Amino acid sequence: MSDSAGKLDITTFLLSAIHDMKNSLGVMSSYLEEALALDGADAPARTRTARALYEAQRVNDHLIQLLALYKIDQAFYPFDPEHHCLADLTEEALARVAVLAESAGIELDGECPDTAYGWFDYELVFGVVVQALRNALHYARARVRLEVQSVGAGVRILVDDDGPGFPDFLLEHGNAARLGIHHQSGGTGLGLYFASVVAGLHRGGGDNRAASGAIRLENGGSLGGGRFILELP
Amino acid sequence: MTPRAASPPDLTRTGILIVEDFEAMRAILRDLLARAGASRITYANDAAGALTLLERHRFDVVLCDLHLGHGKNGQQLLEEARHRQLLAPHTVWLMVSAEKTADMVAGTVESRPDDYLIKPITETLLFSRLKRQIAKKRALAPIEQAMRDREYLRALRLVEAELEQSNPHAWDLKRLQADLALHAGDYPRAHAIFEEALNLRDLPWAHLGLAKIHFHEGHLDDARRELRKITDGNRAYLEAHDWLARTLVRLGELDAAQDVLLRALDTSPHAPTRQAELGEVAWHRGDLETATRAFQRAVDLARDTPLRAPMPYLWLARVQLARGDADAAQATLTTLARDMREDAGASLLAQAMRIPIHLRVGERDRAQALAARLGADLRARARALPAEAVFDLAGPLFELGDPATAGALLGGVVGNNHEHPEYLERAQELFARAGLADEGRELLAGAARAATEIMNQGVRLAHEGRLDEAIQLTRKAREQMPNNARLLLNHAYLLIAWMEKHGRDLDLALETRECIETARRLKPEEKRAGELLTRLELVGNDLELA
Repeated sequence: MSDSAGKLDITTFLLSAIHDMKNSLGVMSSYLEEALALDGADAPARTRTARALYEAQRVNDHLIQLLALYKIDQAFYPFDPEHHCLADLTEEALARVAVLAESAGIELDGECPDTAYGWFDYELVFGVVVQALRNALHYARARVRLEVQSVGAGVRILVDDDGPGFPDFLLEHGNAARLGIHHQSGGTGLGLYFASVVAGLHRGGGDNRAASGAIRLENGGSLGGGRFILELP
Repeated sequence: MTPRAASPPDLTRTGILIVEDFEAMRAILRDLLARAGASRITYANDAAGALTLLERHRFDVVLCDLHLGHGKNGQQLLEEARHRQLLAPHTVWLMVSAEKTADMVAGTVESRPDDYLIKPITETLLFSRLKRQIAKKRALAPIEQAMRDREYLRALRLVEAELEQSNPHAWDLKRLQADLALHAGDYPRAHAIFEEALNLRDLPWAHLGLAKIHFHEGHLDDARRELRKITDGNRAYLEAHDWLARTLVRLGELDAAQDVLLRALDTSPHAPTRQAELGEVAWHRGDLETATRAFQRAVDLARDTPLRAPMPYLWLARVQLARGDADAAQATLTTLARDMREDAGASLLAQAMRIPIHLRVGERDRAQALAARLGADLRARARALPAEAVFDLAGPLFELGDPATAGALLGGVVGNNHEHPEYLERAQELFARAGLADEGRELLAGAARAATEIMNQGVRLAHEGRLDEAIQLTRKAREQMPNNARLLLNHAYLLIAWMEKHGRDLDLALETRECIETARRLKPEEKRAGELLTRLELVGNDLELA
């Protein structure tokens, strides 16, 4: 991160600035969550607070994703698949967006077998699932559903909403890696790019070594809106 | 499942330490914990404050930020707390971090916290991890205790019992089981677990485990191949880099070893032992600039930690002198004397290593006076001094006309390393340069022969059933060769054999353990150390052999 003369380069500043912003946003988010948990606030104030929380968390997540992508790109992300309980992942991901769902009046539920385990890098996959949930909550009318399934030695994760579904151009460009920055989508494409990189890092084991993870977008699904699918071998 | 289905853990009687330099974060953690009824919460701003508190109380839970501003970071704090046994076996250590870093995939059980919490810390995240880890640590506390007692066989039995109940932490436990088997010298069992894991997934820790076995068995090419699978394309797996560097040094590939260490240090520069390894490799390559920098970092990083030891100081002074900077070398020794003033051996070395410096800058009288003053001390401690220091000291002592002290020092090194001809050769070379080749040959050959004879005689006496005599012999020899790993293990073997015949004896068991642990420190790759620990555990216990 520094050259031989000890002079700091721009990357160092960018990285430490990202850390700083992330810490601030983290503190801000938890205050906003507390504010939403308090009784007594009127409805318009709650709506605005919820909106602020959504934005703060969205930017926070993007910073986390940028850092992870940087490390993956520079070959020092400590990719570390472990044997995780799927119910823990489900519970923690739902909880992470619970305040947002409540304040937006959206019914959020999850389904997962109690005792199933899967091999994956917890932090990366958690990041992808939360991002997908938040996105779904943003577009949903009344319901969002997270389903985590154990499939053979792998894991399938579905995030369904009852919103208008993904626009055609997103469905066509199923491979998010080619998506790049797309202003029409209202985002930067970072979330999908991140999800596809994370999926690609996960490889199968045993006779299934050649397989790698993948993401898919569909419309319809169990709630009639958009469906995000993450499959890990 | 609905969000917030999880109930909070009951923390009303839980002693909690929060180590966090960021005030807002402290408040957030406190408020979250209060919702679970926590009232016994103590705070520290930094590692120094935390250590003071940890010395006084046994906390049930430690919530520690990885980055603590000034001073030690959370990882260093954890290692020191473990090293000094400031944590109870059931203590849960949760490390709070802004992101996932290379430190988090450190391979060994000893260096890992129980879990990492990646910010932002939410109620559910905190509560679910606390519940899980508190329950897990309670269940595994007996295993932790066995490991602290270095009773790896007992620990293995306990792990197996847990696994039989199809424990939810199965792969955590299997990984632990493999580590314990390595400690106990049971390589086949460790090997089987690593292979089983690799059949499921391409797991870095399992490759690392296999590589360690290859390394210990002397299959260096296999070790390198296995390690490259982890390090190629990713520099986050630091422990694998350290093992790869170690393997490459053994293979004589010093350039490659230095590259590997530099790569690891680029990712994580704050590891004193890694800096010292780099210093040695650079020295042997003749890259004195890198060596100076690395040893200086090693000294600075270890200063206020339990890792502090005289060797990096001595290496630094040696490199500085080799570069012609006698003043810097003197200053380094002054620092050593100050940093380790409570350690008599270190103090003696800090003084004695000034002899070559004085001589080098033409202060022969001062060198002479110092050698005369320290001669008796040096001879008395000759057998306990580190070999590299002895090699630097012996030449000047010959030059100053003190072959008696020089000979005592070199004889000590050769006796401690009688199975390693390279030490004998280096010592012989120093005698030859002093024009004392014949005297040297006689003295050194005598030292090496004496060691060999004692080993052989000990084995013979034991075979004849004369255990008491054998033990007497090796115990006496241990005084002469306190750092001879082979002798220490033979002595331990005889003591165990005696106890197997006559029953366990507390003093003998302690003596045995001390021998095995010194030998393991001297030669970490010695598989016999683990096997003997296992046998020691079995003496007088009703655990039957697996």
